Amino acid sequence: MESTGKRNGLVQSLRNFDRRWVFLLIGLGTILPIIYPIGFGVSTTPPVQQLYDKIESLTPDDVVMLSFDFGPTTVPENGPMASAILRHCFTRGIKVVVIALYPIGGRALAVQALNEVAPEFPHLRYGIDFVNLGYKDGAQALMKQMGEDIHGVFPTDANGDPLSQLPLMQRVHNYKDISLVVSLATGVIGEWWANLINSQFGVPVAVGCTAVSAPKYYAYLNTGQMIGLLGGLKGASEYERLLLDGHPSVSAPYNDPTRFNAMKGMDVQTIDHSIIILFIVVGNVAYFLSRRRAARV
Amino acid sequence: MFFRLQLPLILTFIAGMIPIVAFFFTSEATIVKAPTDRLEKWMVIVAGFALLLGVINVIQGNLKKIERRGPGWPYAICLLVGLLVPGIFGILSAFSVGPFQGIGLRADGGYTPFAWVTRFFFEPLQATMFSLLAFYIASAAFRAFRVRNLEATILLVAAVLVMIGRIPVGDAISSAVRPGALASFTEWLMDKPNTAAQRGILIGAALGAASLSLRVILGIERSYLGLEKSE
Amino acid sequence: MDPTQAAEAAGYFDRDRLNALVLFIVFCALVLWFIRTARQNRNLFIRRIAGLNAVDEAVGRATELGKKVLYVPGIGSIDDNQTIASLAVLQHVARLTARYNTELDVPNKDPLAFASARETVREAYLQEGRPDLYNEGMVHYVTYDQFAYTASVSGVMVREKPAANFLIGSFFAESLLLAETGQASGAIQIAGTAEIAQLPFFVCACDYTLIGEELYAAGAYLSRDPAMLGSIKGQDYTKALVALLIIIGMVCSTAFHWPAFAAWFQAR
Repeated sequence: MESTGKRNGLVQSLRNFDRRWVFLLIGLGTILPIIYPIGFGVSTTPPVQQLYDKIESLTPDDVVMLSFDFGPTTVPENGPMASAILRHCFTRGIKVVVIALYPIGGRALAVQALNEVAPEFPHLRYGIDFVNLGYKDGAQALMKQMGEDIHGVFPTDANGDPLSQLPLMQRVHNYKDISLVVSLATGVIGEWWANLINSQFGVPVAVGCTAVSAPKYYAYLNTGQMIGLLGGLKGASEYERLLLDGHPSVSAPYNDPTRFNAMKGMDVQTIDHSIIILFIVVGNVAYFLSRRRAARV
Repeated sequence: MFFRLQLPLILTFIAGMIPIVAFFFTSEATIVKAPTDRLEKWMVIVAGFALLLGVINVIQGNLKKIERRGPGWPYAICLLVGLLVPGIFGILSAFSVGPFQGIGLRADGGYTPFAWVTRFFFEPLQATMFSLLAFYIASAAFRAFRVRNLEATILLVAAVLVMIGRIPVGDAISSAVRPGALASFTEWLMDKPNTAAQRGILIGAALGAASLSLRVILGIERSYLGLEKSE
Repeated sequence: MDPTQAAEAAGYFDRDRLNALVLFIVFCALVLWFIRTARQNRNLFIRRIAGLNAVDEAVGRATELGKKVLYVPGIGSIDDNQTIASLAVLQHVARLTARYNTELDVPNKDPLAFASARETVREAYLQEGRPDLYNEGMVHYVTYDQFAYTASVSGVMVREKPAANFLIGSFFAESLLLAETGQASGAIQIAGTAEIAQLPFFVCACDYTLIGEELYAAGAYLSRDPAMLGSIKGQDYTKALVALLIIIGMVCSTAFHWPAFAAWFQAR
């Protein structure tokens, strides 16, 4: 009787579980792995490997367009992708044209990423090895117009200098001069790149997106409209892992304990996912116990 | 009645048909492409004026609340301060008045007043709200993922497998059976069943949107005007 | 038009979009045919959509409890089809709240949608013969920022505890924040969106969810207008045609190694 009473009390407690305990555990599961990194390993998946291999196959004569289509809210996911791709391109001497199509914060985040990564490659010169064209409004129409003439869409770079004065932009006029477009997107802009630009102009497109958006991009990956996909923090961590394995010379920022990177974020994701799964199991146990009790009654 | 009913419907028909016709012509057909570009620009201008309408509505509503000391009236003061301070900073920055020189970073890397408000108020608040998702997804999963019926069970199993497959613990678990098995299965789940379902919903939603657009252009659907079909 | 001019005009036509033009004509023909049929025969069958049938129940619950109905029309602008579809549902909900004298609150994120929503609600109250119950504060503008808007609406849910929440329209990252907050406040929740990424959150946290095309059909379903129901029929037959073409394309490409059929449908 006593054990039945205790079990009923436990079931009742689990059924009436205050969700603030869930919040507390998730909070601790987020904060503690950042303070005390665990260093879980990261395995790679084909969509990320495909993008990595594509950039590996490019030469210093090729130009990659990196589009900052995300804002401050998704910096933890898209930010590490931006840094990793810039480092990969710069390490291989691939030229980079940076643009921003996201209105709130895209331009500032592009500047932030370049300010973070470019100093690690002091031999690179602005205007010759990379340019930042800044932000322009009118995403879809603008993306289509760049297929005809990038200079018409961005007459000056982010600093206000005419593109004609930038040696790199003297040979980049439209998508025919671009070997790969990588869109780091938080919303629908990544879909526009895959859906509209790849199908209309044939330029290879890859997207780095938030985890919640990743499922819808698999359709474009399957049809060949995208050549690679970085899905959320996991995708970013996989790319960092591939980069470090392939180019150990860029490891310094990733070994800096004061800097956040996606691989550190995976510690947090691991712990939080484990907590959520635990709660799901506990919730179902309580559900079954209460159903059994109701059936007996 | 003409200005309330017929004129909006005529304008809707013209504005709807121009982009549709322009879609089937090349960029050389400026006679159809130019109006489409112009319509897109006009939309931005109209939205700007509508934003002014919205701001006036916010100010009026909150001033009334403060005046009659409605519930939560101190927060109305906070809201008005939050609206007016960055707004005034932005306007002064646009005209480069005094210390308000632009809205970005200064040449020495320091923050202009507008950039300071954006960086130290706006961005952390945005990030905080976005971070709530992590907590809410946990509580939603705890509450919603129950083995109630077949569909709920499939949802539960798929969610748990994808969650485990996305973390290194999943690799560790599957390496006991076959290395990378869980990650491969997760990828297969995302690549095949998920993509198939997404495509199905996408096709249905696209046709639904096209049907609604046709109804709006032909004047059958008038709810956006606040009118019923019978009017 | 002389042959030179004709050739010139024909050159402007984008031949790569011929497939889209053919499908567009077939789609329009089907929809218009069924609209015509519906006007002659009013007994058109549309399957039951639980979420829409629950609208009256939700407003009735709010009336019984003496609490407000919170209607969130999404964060899209008026050029978004989901917002237009949401306004159609708002019209129906506003007529119910006018009829039952239930408080209605419609916070808006987009200024253009705000202007349309205000018009929609005002007209609904007028049509119900209760213009006295309408006040300007019912439909109000909050802010253009996505998360500031979410914070404001969440605050309303927590403080004022509406009995019924309608989350219908275009939603992005804020969908779970709103749905979960509403669920915790104890409201009955009816959601609807065509944003595929947000559907799972609504399904988990809301009592009823309108998925994709159900949202677009909502206006027609609630009004039972024959012309609008006919357009849904036309859209459904087009979907059946698309499914048939997919199967034919699949068979041609795999069994008969003839990819030209599927290739004709490729977007260029």
